Formats: sequence, structure tokens, C-alpha cells
Amino acid sequence: MKFSVSKEKLLAGLQTVQNVVSTRTTLPILSNVLLQADGDQVRLTTTDLDVGVSGAITAQIEKPGATTLPARRLANIVRELPAAEIQIEVDSKNVASIRCGQSFFKILGLPEEEFPPLPKFDDTRTFTISQQLLRDALKKTSYAISTDETRYVLNGILFSFKENKLTLVATDGRRLALVDLEIEFPRSQEVDIIVPTKAVTELGRLLGDEGDVRLSVGENQVAFQIGDTLLASKLIEGNYPNYRQVIPGEAKERVTLERELFFNAVHRVSLLSSEKSNSVKLIFTKNNIEIAANTPDVGEARESLAVAYKGREFSIAFNPEFLQAPLRALPNDEVYLDLIDEMSPGVIKIQSPFLYVLMPMRIS
Amino acid sequence: MPSPTVDKLLNSADLKTHWSSISARLKSEVSVDTYERWFRNTELVELDHEQMTLCVPNNIYQLWIESNYLGLLQSSAMLALGSARAVKFVFSGEQNHEAAEKPMLPVGKAPAPVTEELDARPATIVANGMNPRNSFDAFVVGPNNQFAQAACKAVSDAPAKTYNPLFIYGGVGLGKTHLMHAIGHAIFGKKKGAKVVYITSEAFTNEFIDAIQNNTLIKFRKRYRQADVLLIDDIQFLADKGRTQEEFFHTFNTLFDGHKQIVLSSDRPPSEIANLETRLVSRFEWGLTAELQAPDTETRVAILRKKAQAMDVRIDTEIIQFLAERIRTNVRRLEGALMRVASYVSLSDGRAPSREKIEHLLKDILHEEARRAITIDQIQRRVAEHFDVRLADMTSKRRPANIAFPRQIAMYLARELTKTSLSEIGDAFGGRDHGTVLHAHRLVKERMSKDEKTRQVVSFLDTQLTR
Repeated sequence: MKFSVSKEKLLAGLQTVQNVVSTRTTLPILSNVLLQADGDQVRLTTTDLDVGVSGAITAQIEKPGATTLPARRLANIVRELPAAEIQIEVDSKNVASIRCGQSFFKILGLPEEEFPPLPKFDDTRTFTISQQLLRDALKKTSYAISTDETRYVLNGILFSFKENKLTLVATDGRRLALVDLEIEFPRSQEVDIIVPTKAVTELGRLLGDEGDVRLSVGENQVAFQIGDTLLASKLIEGNYPNYRQVIPGEAKERVTLERELFFNAVHRVSLLSSEKSNSVKLIFTKNNIEIAANTPDVGEARESLAVAYKGREFSIAFNPEFLQAPLRALPNDEVYLDLIDEMSPGVIKIQSPFLYVLMPMRIS
Repeated sequence: MPSPTVDKLLNSADLKTHWSSISARLKSEVSVDTYERWFRNTELVELDHEQMTLCVPNNIYQLWIESNYLGLLQSSAMLALGSARAVKFVFSGEQNHEAAEKPMLPVGKAPAPVTEELDARPATIVANGMNPRNSFDAFVVGPNNQFAQAACKAVSDAPAKTYNPLFIYGGVGLGKTHLMHAIGHAIFGKKKGAKVVYITSEAFTNEFIDAIQNNTLIKFRKRYRQADVLLIDDIQFLADKGRTQEEFFHTFNTLFDGHKQIVLSSDRPPSEIANLETRLVSRFEWGLTAELQAPDTETRVAILRKKAQAMDVRIDTEIIQFLAERIRTNVRRLEGALMRVASYVSLSDGRAPSREKIEHLLKDILHEEARRAITIDQIQRRVAEHFDVRLADMTSKRRPANIAFPRQIAMYLARELTKTSLSEIGDAFGGRDHGTVLHAHRLVKERMSKDEKTRQVVSFLDTQLTR
């Protein structure tokens, strides 16, 4: 196999796939990237057996062929090379010679046959979604994914395809984020899948502003086709909890908040909440919210925010990180905070179909 | 009462009791919506010293309860059961098999001290013989029960400080038990760990007999004499039970001297409970005696509206008015009738039934009501007619035997067939006092038991009047 390619292209290609490569693996082949040169393309593929990513770059191919090379090492080398044409030649023993200007590297690879193939998809359901919409939706939900490994069904985002709607849900038991997207598909394609966190993270990086992404859902696996790039992932098996049960009934009070102002205020005040009493209190009075935190033996912080509020005077406490997360992720200038009482969950909403349910902390 | 031991397999009734005492505590800690949403459909299916297993509809319940209410659940369980338990979940439909993966460890897992456990148990069990729906909020106040309700409210606000003992009396289905339960719940909710003991006097008697048989009098006494609030329902059943009365007398004194609240209910005032020792009667009259009377029409309408709302059915104003007018004496019967109409409406796709339909639907109840609607005046007329004496003789002061005896029979019937009190009957018979009525009643009863002819006459008049 022999090909030459510009440094930028190769680096970009490697960066697309290299995140999947796990640093500690018992199988050496999994730290390698598969390179397949054919036609005018070199295809780069990595996998950790759960998630695999494959991308293509255009190159001048002198001799087609395939090999695997240590992904991180290769990427580190390419990154340091001068911005010029890179020539890579691999012999039958999978030893690669890399030439660029006056630099020469020789690295040892492993045969292509050892590389585990990405899953094949037959009998699949396929869906097409705008890349931008899906990226937004992932951003609005992914922060609420549970990291508790004992609750493995929650270690991912639920993609629920139902009634011409894709609902994305993430929860960790104390908060829940949900986005609805309108897409069209036949009834027969309705399905619920749980996409694991790692795939969600990769997907978030791969999705761009333009074009569509094509989803293929197979038995226990899913693939996302974004242009030339393919991301395939195993699905989390199990039943996602019935999230509808969590969504509170009609709100008693609604406040419209300027997202950034509110976020900054909560952020500042939360500096004086502690690990132990990890909460900020929102005290609602007429046309005002006071945000307060207080840690015994450390100190306290308070900040007032003028808002249009005509409801009942009361206070409610939240985990500051959980309160900030959606505010950080949402692009909107204004968000709505719906509340019932001090013991019932709060809900953050925006103009579009999104909601974030947040359990209050008990004020002692 | 034979108390179940935890080591034995608990039967479902025991588990229910435990769960209701745990959930009663939960209820006071979380919002109504939260309770309805997460705990209403939860059941306790297994319990031992180490852990409790809750059966929930599906995995979202486990997730949300574990994440948000586990601490609360464990502290409630600890208070209700006397020691901490690990919490395990199963989903309905797969009980006992696929227990959810993760038994959570309790915060501070201490081995259960058995004595404490047994000690903590009776209070919660007895306290939860009370129906949680019987709260002050659900009680419709009208002129008929305002005084009693206010007295009960005062007692629940400041137990043993205002009216002690509080004696509530009134006819069947007028809300005695409701008010008792409401007091119990209010005190229970306000003061965590208050030992609220609610029991009917009949159960009290049975437990007392059990205690004598099994030689567990000490335990029995401990249970009642250490209560903070003792609620005894239907105290009139203590009549004729000499030893139970004596036991109760001492319980009463111990609690009263210890400034503990005592609330009693009966279907008649203390002085009218036959065969009740005078020392008990005088003690019952010591505090406040409040009467519950039959509700007036407006109150009945209000009750029906409230109940219809609680049942979440819409019933025409006309029908409510009709029910309220026809069923006068008994709230329980009123509710029964409403329930019947409501289920009829729901079965006939919400179409409002006609007046005739309702009359047919409720014919037994209405018939029964009509029977109750007899007035003293009717009785006097009927009796006078039968014995061929003048109506005026019913109220006159003359007392030759041929007038006095019919008058006594009329008084007897008035007592049996109407809900009026002794003194009101006395008034209706020319301003006689209640002792006279009581005497007449006793005399007629005695004659009836001895004399076939008297019995025939009285039962003839009875059927004539109630037809």
C-alpha cells in the first residue's frame, strides 16, 4: 500500500476517529487505526468494540491496500510534521514508512485481518434527521445522562421514535432533560433505543451545521451516517424508565428569566455552596428573585435578580450544578422556569419542545 | 391483641398495616402530588429485620424513589418499624423473582433491637386503624356539627390542654368516627412520634378479655396507659361490661392524671348510656360534651357536593337537591345514595337519570328514610286513635291508667322510631322531663316482655306507623 496526502487532510481524518481508541486496552489491535486505500480515498477506522468510527479522506493512491497502525502514535507524528505532502508506504510485514520533507518515520503495524469489522446492518430501520437539529438536541440533553454505572440503562440517551416524533431523553434520577424533534417515518419503524454516552459524545463532535444524518437501527446496534463518516455503536440493552411519570402537572408559577443573567448569578452564588450543603436557594418575592447560598463556617452569598413575578412568595432550593447545566447548554436568550411549590420539581422550558425537570432539595 | 412477630412470615394484612404506617409518615413529608405519583401505587411485599421489599409498577419508580426519596423512606421506615431497613424493589408482575438488581444499604444499618421494635409497633398499628380520608378538611361543617367540629379542632391543636375528656355523641352516620379519626391524624401529623391510640370500645373489650386469658394484662395496660392520645369510639358498648368498665376507669384515670388527651364517642349522651357505672358517667361529663345532630338541607347539599367532587363525578344540582331533601338523617346513607347514583351515571355514559329512575334506584334507602321521618305528632295521633283517647290527653297532666298507659306507649314509640332526644320527647308530651320518658320506655319494654297483649299492640302500632 502506498499513498500520499496533505498533512491537514490526514490530521483531520485521524482526529475524527482517534477519540474512540481506548488508552487502556488488553487487545493491542484496538489501539490501532485501520487504513484502507482504494480508488482515490483512504478510509480510516477505529473501534473499541462498542463504538466504531470510520471516515474517509481523499488521497493520491499509488498502490491500494490496507493495514493497521497505532492510532495515537500516528496522529502525534502527523501533528508535528510540517504542513506539506505526506507519503506513506506500507510493506507486506505491515511496517509503515512515513516521509514528509526531510523527516522520516518507520512504525510497526498489525495486519488488517486482525482488525474487528464494524457491524453490518441488515433488516434495519432508517431515519433521516438534520444534523444541526440532532446536534442541538444532543447538546440540550446529554448533560443529564447518569454516570452511575450501576444504572446502566441510564448511561445513554433514549432515542424514542414514535408518531412522527423523535424524543430524546436523558436522566440521572434527580433531573431529566427531554427534547422532541419532528421527523417523518412510517409507523412500522417506531422504535426505542438507548444510545450509550460514548457514542453520544462522538456524535456530538461529528455532527455539523449542514446536511442530514442518516440513522440505521439494527438489532442491538445503531449507525449514524454523516457524509463520508460513519459512527456505529452497540445499544444499551434494557428498558428505559417511563420518563413521562416524572413530568409534573400544571405549574402554579412561571417566571421568565434572561438565561445568561440568571446563569451568571447562580454561578456566582454557587461559589459559596459547599459539597455538603450543595444547594442554592431561590427566594421568590414580588418581581424579584433572590438567589442565596450559605455554608456554615464558610460564609454566604446572595444576589437579587429583577424579574416579572406576580405569584406567591416562596423559596425553593436546587443543586446549583443541576440548575446551571441546562442554562449552559441552551442557546435561547430567555428561558421559563415553572414551579408548583417548594417540594415539587421545577421545570425549565423554552419556546421549542424542550423540558428539563429538576428535583428540589429539601430546605431544612 | 395477639401481636405478630417479625420473624414469622408476615401476612399481607400485616404488611399493609406496616406500609400504611410508613406511608402515613411519608405523606406528611412530601407534597400531595409526590405522594400520589410515587407512593400511592407502591406496596410493601416483604419485610424482615434487614430489609424491606417494595413492589412498584416499573423501573421509573425505583429510579425516582431511590434517587430522591430513599432517605425519607428509610427514616419513615425507621420511625414506623423501630429500626433501619435496606430497601429493595420489585416490579409488579415479577414479584419475588427478578428483584431489581440493587438493594440499597440503609444510612446507618444497626441490627434491630427487638424490644424497641415490639414497643414501637402497637402505637403505629393502633394509630392506623384510622381511615386517612377522615380528615378535618374532608369534614363538611354545618350548624348541626359546628360546635363538635370546633371542639375537636381545638383538641387537636392543643391536646389535653383545652377539653379533656372530649365526649362526642350523635346518631348513626353523623360523623363521630370521622371527627375522631381527624383528631388522630391531626395530632399524629403535627407531633411526630405521638402515640395516638384509636380503638372502638368493643375492640378494647376484646383485647382486655384476651389479655386476661393470656395473662398479658401488663402489656395491655402499658399499651393504653402510655398513650399520648386515646380515642375510643362507640363507648356505649361498654355498658353491661363490668370488668372492662373497671379496667377502663383506671386507664382513664391514669391518662387523665398524666395530662393525656382522651376523646370518647357514643350514640347518646353519657347520662343516657344504660348500665354504665356512675363514676364513669361523671368522668365522661367532666370535660366537654358535644352533640352531632343530623345535618340540615343546606349542609346535606354541601356534603353531597363535596363527596361528588371527591369522587370526581358531575351530578346535576337537581339530583343533589333531591337526594338532600329525601335523605335526612344519616350522612353515611347520603353518601351511599350518592355513590349509587354516581355509578349509575357512569354506567349509562354520563346521561343524567330521571327522577323516577333515581327513586327506583334508591327505593330501599328512601323507604328506610320514610320510616325515619315519623314525627312525634303522628305517633301521638295514631296511639290516641288506637286507644280511643283524646289527643289532648297525650300532653295533659292527667294520669289515670287508661290515659297514662297509652301515653307511655306513645313515648316508647317516639323513643324507638324517632331520633329525637329524651328531653325533646318529654317536651312534646306536655313538658315532661326526660326521666319520665325514660321511665315510660322502660316500663313499656318490661310489660312487653311479660305481657303478650301489650307486645302485640305495640308491634301493631309500630308497623302501622312505619308502613
